[in-house]
Parts: sequence; structure tokens; C-alpha cells
Amino acid sequence: MRNPSYFRFIIIFLSAITVFATSFTHGEELEFSEYELKAGFIYNIAKFVEWPDKKTADTKKIINLYVLGSDPFGRILDQITGKKVKGKILEVKHIRSPKDLRDCHMLFISSSEREKLPDILESLKDSNILTIGDTNGYGQQGVIINFYMEQKKVRFEVNTNIAKRAKLSISSQLLKLAKIIHSE
Amino acid sequence: MIKLHFSTNLPELSRYFQIALFLLLFVMFSIMGDNAFGAGQISAPSKPAVTDLTIEQLMTIEVATVYSASKFEQKITQAPASVSIVTESDIKQYGYRTLADILRSMPGFYTSYDRTYTYAGIRGFSRPGDYNTRLLLLVDGHRINDSIYDQASIGTEFILDVALIDRVELVRGPGSSLYGNNAFFGVINVITKQPQSFNGFEVSGSAGSFDTYKERATYGKKYANGFEMLLSGTNSNSKGQSLYFKEFNTPANNNGRADSCDYEKYNNLFANMKYRDFSLQGAYTSREKGIPTAYLGTVFNENRTRATDERGYIDLKYNKALSENTHIKARGFYDYYNYSGNFLFDYPPLTMNKDVATGKWWGGEFQLTQNLFEKHKVVMGMEYQDYFLQKQRNYDENPYIQYFTETKSSYTWAAHIQDQFSILDNLILNAGIRYDYYKTFGGSTNPRAALIYTPFEKTTIKLLYGQAFRAPNAFESYYNDGNVTQKANPNLTPEKIETYELVLEQYVKNYRFSASGYYYRVKDLINLYTDPADSLLVFRNIGKTESKGAQLKIEGKWSNGIEAKASYSIQETIDKETGRSMTNSPKHLAKLNIFSPLISKKLSTGLELQYTSSRRTFNGDSTGGFVIANLTLLSREVIKDLEVSGTIYNLFNKKYGDPVSNEFRQNIIVQDGRTFRIKFTYRF
Repeated sequence: MRNPSYFRFIIIFLSAITVFATSFTHGEELEFSEYELKAGFIYNIAKFVEWPDKKTADTKKIINLYVLGSDPFGRILDQITGKKVKGKILEVKHIRSPKDLRDCHMLFISSSEREKLPDILESLKDSNILTIGDTNGYGQQGVIINFYMEQKKVRFEVNTNIAKRAKLSISSQLLKLAKIIHSE
Repeated sequence: MIKLHFSTNLPELSRYFQIALFLLLFVMFSIMGDNAFGAGQISAPSKPAVTDLTIEQLMTIEVATVYSASKFEQKITQAPASVSIVTESDIKQYGYRTLADILRSMPGFYTSYDRTYTYAGIRGFSRPGDYNTRLLLLVDGHRINDSIYDQASIGTEFILDVALIDRVELVRGPGSSLYGNNAFFGVINVITKQPQSFNGFEVSGSAGSFDTYKERATYGKKYANGFEMLLSGTNSNSKGQSLYFKEFNTPANNNGRADSCDYEKYNNLFANMKYRDFSLQGAYTSREKGIPTAYLGTVFNENRTRATDERGYIDLKYNKALSENTHIKARGFYDYYNYSGNFLFDYPPLTMNKDVATGKWWGGEFQLTQNLFEKHKVVMGMEYQDYFLQKQRNYDENPYIQYFTETKSSYTWAAHIQDQFSILDNLILNAGIRYDYYKTFGGSTNPRAALIYTPFEKTTIKLLYGQAFRAPNAFESYYNDGNVTQKANPNLTPEKIETYELVLEQYVKNYRFSASGYYYRVKDLINLYTDPADSLLVFRNIGKTESKGAQLKIEGKWSNGIEAKASYSIQETIDKETGRSMTNSPKHLAKLNIFSPLISKKLSTGLELQYTSSRRTFNGDSTGGFVIANLTLLSREVIKDLEVSGTIYNLFNKKYGDPVSNEFRQNIIVQDGRTFRIKFTYRF
């Protein structure tokens, strides 16, 4: 045997992983994770937004939520998929590029798309899509709803100019809970 | 001559690898069994579904873990250095296979390959035979340079599969004020992908020229309770090519052809786990490479001459924001390195000479980041590393003769402080200093200062000054062959560098432009020298160099998805001993990268052009300049979740070579002509 020490190294390494992994994946979940809460927010926000008639006519019974980029929610969005929002069913779809968004109502833009954001928003200029993000600076750049954390609680900012440009009407009930920002 | 086929030596390696993979899979499934498919994913009945809560209720709930947006990430324009970044999408778009491919695309960076290791060149400095000791290589903040040769491995011997890389940052200039040893010409910071970016399984397979195959399996997930895990294993095998070396063109040497000597086999394991403020990371790689070049005067066309490198580490981090203004970071790690070289000489008789080195070390680090009076951001840190085993040995197998053996240990500690002072809204002073203590030679103090001025929103000017050091490594201090040709010099002191740099960065609409000029002065370079007293080779602190250069870069992005970047560097490095420019130092480097979607986002193409001007070899010849073109076609989502890419490297089959050290009979080692790779990646 050439050098048994590296075999020992692997054994130590894997045992450490096993101990670390098993001790943390077990246990009760009594709290909500950040993204569970954000999923709850997205579901609730959908109730407070009115899309232009043309858009809702296209997709009578469905509200489509698209996720662009690497998905931070994991399976959490399953919890809101298929739920009813004002009589319509919420559907979730993952996409890798902002093409073919005709029937999209809400678009969650992952922080992985940070560098491409200006291009993405440019391509959405004339659409009626409620853009959603959770990355520092997205709001100022023109994402309509942007989540941020404040003392471990989820907060959100609303870019009202862009919402107006997208012909979306956002209920004042929602706006009073938000930090209002403007861009341009 | 009896020729052993190389694979006879492999079962031993692959057996361990198989056991390791088996254990890895066992861990993977035991975790998933409990969690992904079990109760972990579904909310406990005691907890209401998020859809049952009103938005007002949601606003009052505290989250268990905060992942996004809380981390401090410095904007590139505020960094106190000239920085280049290559991201995961560049790696896909241009078909990069190794870290060396990634680095070579960056302005002013070049590489050379002696068909065993890949050598980095930056700012016109790349001494043949130097194992990248003057660059610090970090993976998620963990030091990769080993404890014997200080090698920053950037070729296939690099510890990670490049598919796990989120981005690579090259920070040019001295970084010793923050990082200590090896951060001499720059720091390469490799940041791995978040486990959640895989969100399940990913398998990938590729095939390329000369029977090169590579397979990878990765599992990454963020669980509902905030636990994140990434596990990945890679295996690669290449038969390599039959190579012709004109220096060996005699009938006794198979007319200069080295057949089946260029083989390569490697594997990588990587695991990363995060929970709350903790993260545990482990990595391991083992590579065996045939040496086809008759390096050191070994027998030509003989596939038993080969090098095997192994590197592994475990790193546990704790990262915590104590308040909005105070962050702490603590780390502990264990590292392992092993090298084994088999060299077949014909003394006569044919004799296998073995060169072996093993390094083991552990260490810890503590860092505090504190914001003070709104205008200061102070980073303070301490570090300790215990190199408890540094073992080197050289011997003949049969008849057994030991020429050299040395077992050493060493330790270092360091303390550093850095302050980012916002003097005005648009003027930042970034200053830092670090003291490193070495058991071997004593201390080294290295300061750095940067003025960062933003006169207009889209313009940044940086004025940079810095010093750095490189400690003599165990190989340079202790290696000898029993005073036959080489003797040890345990009294070596660190190499030192002093640098000045001016950087301008400018954004105009969708373009980014940057220009920089620099002046570097290096002294006490550790050179191999022949002592006139006894005619023995010995390392001495005698070298001095002076470099100056400039670099221009322009980048553009357009809304139709087209991206392009171009750069040009001019550089000159003078060896003050000889008054001539250094070997393996091209005066001009130019790069062009263009990426364009072809059919929406489903099919895209990336074209890369790289020009390297002529380089001087150690005996005064020149390699001649060359242009290399690489073309990649990338297809995504034609079939759901499947990504296919094909790359042709050296599209125009340009013949070129890299200068190598005087340990070769060749001055120049010929590089690959046109080669290809096709790669499939599937997610589920």
C-alpha cells in the first residue's frame, strides 16, 4: 500500500460529514424559514394586485408565477401551488430565461440574475408582469416588489412608478405595509 | 525493456475511490431518506400553513435563518485592487475545463504547461519550473497552496471540478497585508456554488480528444429547516496523445515519439454543508499524470515515469453577525498533501527513482469586522498554522539507495488589521497591515494602502501601494541530494515585493471600461545558484526584478443577449542580474470573448481569441507569438433539464509551444493542436 494516510483522511472526512449532516437534518421544525415566509407573502400579495383585463382574459382561471434563475425556494413553493387566489388557481413554473412570458402574471427574479437584471427588466418593459425579488438594490433598479430583512422579519418595498407603468393596480391595503420607493 | 501498462498501478487508487464514493452515496441516501422524502419537508401539523396566514400576521414572524442579502459583498469598484471576475455562466459559455482555462481568459493572465503541471503567469512573471508559489489560491477562503512546494494547482490537479464554481475572482497585486504568504502577485479567490443552486441531482458526462472522459454526479439542496448540503464526485480518465519531440529523434528513442506516456487520471470529491451560522466543507483530489517529456533526463518513451498528487482538506467555519455593526468569523481546518514522483533512469541499469513528499497541517483563524462611527469599517484578525509534518524523501527502489530524507515541522502565526475609512462621500482610504511570524526565519511585516476616488457616479480612480512577501518553502530550504549536486540552505529569507498601481474604471451606458498601469519591484528572489566554493547547486536570495506594464479592458452587454469583452496588456519584466527581460514573459497579451444567442436562449455560441506574443526560453531562443481560438456551442432546454455543449479548442490548429525549465532537454514543449470536447449535463 503506497500511503494509507490518505485513506484514513477520507474516512475521517466522511465520518465528520455523517455526524454533521445527521445531527442537523433531524429535529423538529417549529419555526418558519425565510423562504416559507416569502412564499406566504407572494401568495398574499397576489390577492392585492389587479392585472389589466386583457391579461386576465387570456388566462381565465389561472395566475402564473414564474421563477427565473436559481430557485432559492426549493420545494417550498409546492405549498402555495394550486391554491386559490380570488377564484383563480396559482401555478408555479421555473424558467431559465425571460422569454415567452405571455401568460406570466408574477415573475420572481432570483439574486443569481443580478448581473443580467437591467436586460431582463428592459425586455419586460411593455408587459403587465408583477416582478418580485429579494436582492438588495432590485427595487431601485425597477423590480416592483422587493423583499428585504429587518431584524429577522421579512419586509418588502414597492416600486410604484414601475407598477403604474406595468398597468398593475396595487391595493392600498398592501401599500400601507410596504416601503414605497421610486425610480427614474 | 519491459513496459508496464499504466493501468496496472491504478486498482489501488480506484479501490479507495470506490469505497469513498460508496460511503458518500450512503451518507447521501441516509440523509435524503430521513429528510427529503420524510417528514422534514412537510410542515409539522402544529405549524399553520403559510397560506393560512394573513399578510399582517406574516409581517410579525421572525425567521429562523437569514440567508440572503445579509452578507457584506464589496462592489468591484470599491475593492482596493484591480479585480477580474469570471462567473459560472462564462464557464459554460466558453467551455472552460480547468481553472487554468478560466484564468487564461482574464486580462494580463497567461499559462504554460509542461505536460505535467500548469504554470500561471501574471504581470509578465512566470518563471519556468516555479509551481505558482507567488499566487495565493483560495477556495471559499481556504488556502490551497501546499506546505512543501507552496504550489497553487490550477490545471487538472486543482482540487475542485470547475462545474462547482460559482465565480473566480482574480485580485491583482500584493495581498499579504490581508492574507500573508504567497499573496505576492495576486490572490485567486474561487467561490463555490450554493447547494441550493442545484436543487436536486445533476449528472454530467463529457468526452473529448485522445480518449478523454469525465463523469460527475452532484446533489445539492436547501431543506426547509435551513440546512444546506452539496455533495459531488468526479472521475476523469484520459489516454493522452502520442507526442513527437524533435530533441529525441533517434531510432533508439522511437524516432522522437512518446507513445502512451501522456495519460492522466484524476478524481475529485467535494462536500459542503451549512446550518445556521456554521458551515463544514471538505474536498479531496487525487491525480496521476504520465510524464512524456523525459523530464530530468529520465528514459524517453517510458510510461512508468509519472507524478501523483493528492490534496485534501476539512474546513469548519462559523460566521455570525453579533449586531448590525459587528461580524465575527472563526475557522478551523485540517489539510493534507501528498506527492509521489516515479522517475525511471538508465544509469545503467534501468532504475526507478522515487521522489516523495507529504505535508499535513492544521490551523485556525479568527476575524472581527466592526463598523465604527459610520465612516470606518475595521477588519481585525489572527491566524495560526501548525505544519506538523513536512516530509521529503528521494530514493532508488532497486537497488535501494536513499539520497535524501528530511522530516520537519514548522508553525506560523499572524495578526492583521485593515480599515476602510470613508473620508468623503466619494473618497475612501483603505489601509491595512499584517505581521507574520515564521518559526524558520522570524517575522515579516507588510502594509498596503489604497485611495479610491469616485468623482462621478460612473467613474472610479484608484491609487494603490502595497508590499508582500513569499516565505521560502520546505523544498527550497531543505531539499538536497546528499550533497552530490545540490545542497540545502535553511537560512533563506522571504522574497519581497513593492508595488504601485493606478486604476481607472468607467461605466458608459452598457459598457464598462477599465485601464491600469503598474510598477513592481521584487527583491531577494530565491534562485538556484552554483556555489563557486564547492560547485554545488543551492537556493539563495539573490534575484531582483523590475516590472512595468499597462492593461486596458472593455466590456459590453446588449439587450439582445450579446456580450463581449476585450483586453490588451503590455508588460516588461527585467531581470536585474542579467539586465534582460525575463524568460517566459510575453510583452503583449490580447483577449477577445464574444457570446451570442443564436436561437432564442436555446442555442448560443461563445468565441474566444487569445494572443500571446513571443516568449524567451532559458537558452535565449524564442517561442514565437500565437493566436488561439476556441469555439463553443451551448444548447439549453431543447430537451427539458438537459444541457449540451460542444467546444473546439485551438480551432485553427495553431502550432505553438510553452517555454519550460532547464530540467528538460527541450526548451519548448509543444502544446495541443485542435481538440474537441462534448458535454452533457442533466438535472433531476
